[in-house]
Amino acid sequence: MKKYLSNRKAIIVFCLPAIILFCVFIFIPILQVFYYSFFDWDGVNKATFVGLANYKRLLFKDPVFKIANANGFKFGAVITVYQLVLATIFAIAVSDKRIRFRKFFRTAYFIPVVLSVTVVCQLWGNVLNADNGLLNTLMRMLGVEWSQNWLNDRGTAIYAVAFVNAWQWMGYQFALIVAGIKSIGEDFYEAAEIDGATSLKAHWYITLPLLKDTFNFCLLISVTGGIKAFSEIDIMTGGGPGNATYTLTYIMYNYAFGRQKFGYGLTSSAVLVIECLVIILVLNWLFKDRETPLFARRKGAELA
Amino acid sequence: MSKKGSGPRKYTGVSSLIFTVFLWAYAIFSLYPMLWMILYSFKDNTEIFQTNPFGLPKVWRFENYVNAWNQYDVPLYFKNSVVVGAGTVILTIICAMMFTFAVTRLHWKGRDTARTFISTGQFIPVQAILLPVVQTVSALHIMDTYWSLILPYAAINLAFSCMVYYGFFKGIPKEMEEAACIDGASIWQTFFQIIMPLVGPATMTIAIYVFLSAWNEFLLANVLVGTTANLKTLPLGVLFFQGQFTTDWGSMGATMVIASLPAIVVYCLFSEQVEGAMTTSGAVKG
Repeated sequence: MKKYLSNRKAIIVFCLPAIILFCVFIFIPILQVFYYSFFDWDGVNKATFVGLANYKRLLFKDPVFKIANANGFKFGAVITVYQLVLATIFAIAVSDKRIRFRKFFRTAYFIPVVLSVTVVCQLWGNVLNADNGLLNTLMRMLGVEWSQNWLNDRGTAIYAVAFVNAWQWMGYQFALIVAGIKSIGEDFYEAAEIDGATSLKAHWYITLPLLKDTFNFCLLISVTGGIKAFSEIDIMTGGGPGNATYTLTYIMYNYAFGRQKFGYGLTSSAVLVIECLVIILVLNWLFKDRETPLFARRKGAELA
Repeated sequence: MSKKGSGPRKYTGVSSLIFTVFLWAYAIFSLYPMLWMILYSFKDNTEIFQTNPFGLPKVWRFENYVNAWNQYDVPLYFKNSVVVGAGTVILTIICAMMFTFAVTRLHWKGRDTARTFISTGQFIPVQAILLPVVQTVSALHIMDTYWSLILPYAAINLAFSCMVYYGFFKGIPKEMEEAACIDGASIWQTFFQIIMPLVGPATMTIAIYVFLSAWNEFLLANVLVGTTANLKTLPLGVLFFQGQFTTDWGSMGATMVIASLPAIVVYCLFSEQVEGAMTTSGAVKG
């Protein structure tokens, strides 16, 4: 039997396709990102090693980097707050058997997730458009003199774009939290009810602490999602007005595909990867099980 | 465990009314842009922008759909999306199923290392590797073919798919292979005839998830086939349309509906699997 399951030929044949595919399209590319970030390279001619020059220029001399980095965190903050708060409220609501039309709400909240980002951006582009956008038209019809140039205003553009992402992906975090709540036993809530806790209290002390891991993951995707932001920006503002909506990915895109400065563009990608990793580590550290919890976990346990 | 007699307390009072209104309001907010898209796909420009931006179309202009389908390249985009989606699903499933079989059921040194290696793919942002992927695709001389999208898409979905399979493969009792071995089946027969049917539900979940993500993908498609007219997928077609035919908004709306409908239908038919797949990826990532 042991010999049967250690068939060398079978092992190689079964593993090779996945390993090759992964190496060629994911693993080697990520190594190249870091490797070429130390080079001055136009993608055609021989690359010249420049040490940390790209990093020095990007981090300390490039004014766009500051904007891009700040935008990543603004974008992340908007989608984190919007998605996490709403997703938690809605997930608790549709998990409550006393609420009617739960199936409908579930579908309604989730459905933007299955749309293509280009369709979503077109839709919201039409809503937010300055001249004949739906929002400004609605305001005009209501007789309010309050027309905003959402996507072309340096102050509002990044928030408008982040909102579109938040709107589309709220349903994803919603589904994650619904699944998390499902995994909490009913008896927790029954015990809380016997103890006379209101449902608000029960959720505060039971649901939220027990969903720690789910929240960890939700935060991870929304904070890194802000740093990685690209598609909505490329489609709706093209980095503009000026460079007001640049993000790290957009710097890479601009330098690599627009100006043939591959080394410098990849430096921006490298910084992006490092920032994402740091965020993952920090979040895992914050959410680690420890003796004195950061969150009110023990209170939940007492109540239950 | 519902207690008989004393049913759960009903929500009453002002605060619960406000809460219900809030739930409905957001449901409308979530659905309305789509409804609006569907309605304007039946209108002409005057109605969309001036006379009737919000209401039902006064005349239902089905010709917008006919125009989108006949005059513009929508059938081509649709075909490309189907080919790329199906190709990605098949390739991802073949690679992931075989790989997970090897690391869970076969005995060899380094199988845990191999599994960890593939699962690191979860943490690599696609945004960061765009440029090297484009260069790899062109170095392999598969630019301007469907493979330029199918291969990277499959690679991106690999880590996730292996993870979903992993749980399933772990759950199969090892007597399965033992019995097969005693009956004289080769390891290949065991895989194809015994294991493959057993992991059917996982395959289904993965297929739906991977199909949706390939169908809607924009980031890579934009840089890989964004300038290749005959390989554009629907998400790119929607954008291209805006650049070229801004005068015909109704047909543009029709194109967006055509691009979205398959994904919405898949979700409505398999909502459990779609949400299940997405939450599995969450459970392990976190």
